[in-house]
Amino acid sequence: MSDLNLTVRGVTVAYANGHVALRDASFKLNPGTICALVGVNGSGKSTLFKAIMGFVRPMRGTVRIGGEPVRAAHKRNWVAYVPQSEDVDWAFPVSVWDVVLMGRYGYMNLLRMPRRHDKEIASRSLDRVQMLDFKDRQIGELSGGQKKRVFLARALAQKGRLMLLDEPFTGVDVKTEAAIIDLLRELRDEGHIVLVSTHDLGSVPEFCDECVIINRTVLAAGPTATTFTEANLTQAFGGALRNVRFDHTDTPGARANEFHVLTDDEGALVFDQDGRPARVHGRQPSDEGPR
Amino acid sequence: MIEHLLTPFHYEYMVKAILVSGFIGGVCALLSCFVTLKGWSLMGDALSHAVVPGVSISYLLGLPFALGAFVSGMLAALAMGFIKSRTRIREDATIGIVFTTFFAAGVLLISLYPSNISLKTIVFGNILGIANADIVQTLIISGITLVVLALKWKDLLLFAFDPNQARAIGLNTTLLHLTLLTLLAATAVAALQAVGACLVVAMLVTPGATAYLLTDRFGRMMVIASVMGVLTSVTGAYGSYFLNGSTGGCIVVLQAGIFLLALAFAPKHGIVASRIRARSSAAARSGPDAATTLVTEATR
Repeated sequence: MSDLNLTVRGVTVAYANGHVALRDASFKLNPGTICALVGVNGSGKSTLFKAIMGFVRPMRGTVRIGGEPVRAAHKRNWVAYVPQSEDVDWAFPVSVWDVVLMGRYGYMNLLRMPRRHDKEIASRSLDRVQMLDFKDRQIGELSGGQKKRVFLARALAQKGRLMLLDEPFTGVDVKTEAAIIDLLRELRDEGHIVLVSTHDLGSVPEFCDECVIINRTVLAAGPTATTFTEANLTQAFGGALRNVRFDHTDTPGARANEFHVLTDDEGALVFDQDGRPARVHGRQPSDEGPR
Repeated sequence: MIEHLLTPFHYEYMVKAILVSGFIGGVCALLSCFVTLKGWSLMGDALSHAVVPGVSISYLLGLPFALGAFVSGMLAALAMGFIKSRTRIREDATIGIVFTTFFAAGVLLISLYPSNISLKTIVFGNILGIANADIVQTLIISGITLVVLALKWKDLLLFAFDPNQARAIGLNTTLLHLTLLTLLAATAVAALQAVGACLVVAMLVTPGATAYLLTDRFGRMMVIASVMGVLTSVTGAYGSYFLNGSTGGCIVVLQAGIFLLALAFAPKHGIVASRIRARSSAAARSGPDAATTLVTEATR
């Protein structure tokens, strides 16, 4: 039951127009892991997600979930998915409760009639993300963080053992972010694999045990401590990252106070002691902004 | 007076027209909920026009009209899918090209090989003159659609709402896509008799769109839409006797009227309600910090 792992071996994905989105990607995740999938837009992050979801068929290579091909793993309800907020039609006429019950469809009969057991699990899942009080709301009538939590509850209700989260922290307040991270940690401790696609680099070392850094292929994969390094990230992001250095000096032995800030899409705003925006030393030409 | 109002029921063709329209109207309305939410309105329009060459060929060869219509509808859908996936042409252009091509082929066929079906019948429908064999075909198609929807509406709902999740729990999304497409083509064929190719799309969109303005729950949406579909179709067919006008025209004008009422007066999503909401929240803001509000507005 608990030894479900995810193996991606030599996966190459090409689209119909001939564009190769991902080449020879390989990594392996063991149960009880939170793993970050890190890369710039267009690096193949979402393609890799789609390959694991079975939406695109790899030209070469295999994805195995618990030793099974993707389709078989889906049939067993092993894979739960939390969509990116932009991918959801929030005006759709469904309630919070409807959405969470959808997580149970795979267990229901062909008419998808929920049994008592399904309803119990659905309400427990909603309770776990503190959204039970909102169960009769239409999904568009929620805040950004609440919306996210509803879909987390759906994934919980599905009892999937591989959780895929697509950009879970965009449009979410700091409090909800902390709550989501706590929940993901609990899931890890229960033996789930949690794969989080994110460009929120700052949060990665905080809660991810492992990370997979990709740019058209897997550049590095492994424990966060040894993989999530400045060298690897710079290689993955190239000019798309702002590199801000503090207390920078070229004198050897005098670098005790120096630290670097790496940040992607949004530029970090740095203030000096007087509250004026600081001009940071060590700006590189590419720092003028990727966009 | 009552005698006068009951006259349509003395004629067998009127009773048939009223009952058949009502049934088709209800089924189309049910499907319209999925069509509007999935964003397939244009697709419905395309399919309903694309069935025309199939109908004319069926009549020429003496086959059941539904068969030809259905085959030609599905061919059109395939052609659209093919062009969309293999070229850089956008979907709306693809739909525009394919459905006009099919429709033109149909018009050409009918004009070249006149048979006992007129172009006018196909384009504008002729429920009052419907033959018994055609009624049977129509009822079978609508009946099957109704059964499929009754059994699979939850899967189709999930497919419309979140196809990724449908896939993730092991549903066959390709099959669901084809099912919805098939139902759309089938009901387009069924509704052809009642309102004609030109107006089919109204029956497949308006009730769903109206219900969507009136509720935030899919279950209620299906109920509202189908009640509206049945009532407008029955009333339209009945009213057309007194107006001595086109049945299809009556039905669709009635539906449009209800849609306009909903658009204006829907409790939450209507124009009046939104106006009132905007005004009251503006009033709430212009309290103690009206000045600050004004400043922020100005700086925006």
